Amino acid sequence: MRGARTWKPGPSGNDPGYLRNPLTTCRIADVFNCRSMRLARVSLLLLLALFVATCSHREPVTSDSGPANVATPAGIQPPAATPAAPAAPIPAEPVPPVVKAPAPARPLDLNTLETQLKETKAIGLFTKITLKNQVDDLLGQFRKYYQGKAQLTLKDLRRSYDLLMMKVLTLLQDEDQRLASAIVSSREAIWRLLADEKTFATLQA
Amino acid sequence: MNRVALGLAHAFVVAALFATPSSAADDEALKKDLTAVIALQGLPCGKVVAVKVLAESDYNASCEDGNRYHVHLSPEGRVVVEKQK
Repeated sequence: MRGARTWKPGPSGNDPGYLRNPLTTCRIADVFNCRSMRLARVSLLLLLALFVATCSHREPVTSDSGPANVATPAGIQPPAATPAAPAAPIPAEPVPPVVKAPAPARPLDLNTLETQLKETKAIGLFTKITLKNQVDDLLGQFRKYYQGKAQLTLKDLRRSYDLLMMKVLTLLQDEDQRLASAIVSSREAIWRLLADEKTFATLQA
Repeated sequence: MNRVALGLAHAFVVAALFATPSSAADDEALKKDLTAVIALQGLPCGKVVAVKVLAESDYNASCEDGNRYHVHLSPEGRVVVEKQK
C-alpha cells in the first residue's frame, strides 16, 4: 500500500488526522511510511545508540563496603576483648545484631604489591612512573648504605621509607582503600626486608 | 535532501554533546595525574588548572597558584618536572 499514500499539506494543528513534525507534516495513517517519520526514527535510534555507547564508556562506580581502616598504623592491633566478669542475671532483652568488623587486610608479598600498584586505577600513569623513580632512588640509597658509601643512617632511610609510604597511601586511600589497607598491613614486613642486608641482597638479585 | 541534511546535522550536534563529557573526563584525569606528579616532587602548585600537550608524555602544566611546569619523560624513564618562568 506504499504507492497508495497521499501527501497532503498539514492544514492545522487542531486537525487530529495530521501529526505536526518540525520537518514536514504527515498523516497519522502514514506515520510508518512517511519519509520524515522514518528520518525521525533513524535519528532517534542514533541518539539511543550514542547514549548507550556513552554510558558504557563511563567507569563503573565501585563501592567499598567496609569502613576505611587505612588510618590504622601497622603493628597496632585492636584491643582484645577482655573477658567479662560474671554478670548478674539480667532479664532477657532483644540482643542487637552483632556488626562484624571487616577482616584486616593480609600483608602482601612484594610481587603482588607491585602488580596491584601497576594495575590500580587510583593513580595516573605519570604518577606511577614518578613513584617508581622514587622507589628506585630509595633502593639506591639502601645499596649505597650497605656498600658503606652513604652518609645516611638506617634511621634516615627509615624516614625516607615512611615518607614514600605516606605518599603512596595518600594517593590510594580515597580511591583504592583495599590496596591502601594491604600496603599498611605490609609496611613493616617490607621494611624488615629492606633493613636486613641479606634479604636486601636477595631482592636485588 | 534538505531534510536528510537537517537530520544528519541534528544527529552530529547531539553526538558532539554526548562526546564532550568523555573528553572532559580524560582532561580532568590528566590534570589530576600531573597535580600528583608535581606534588610528589615537592614543588608548589596547588592544583593543575590547565594542561598543554606538547608531545606524547610531554606537557606544560599551569597551576592554580600561577606556577607553570614542564613535565616530561626523560629517555632514562624518569619523570622530569621543570619550573618555567
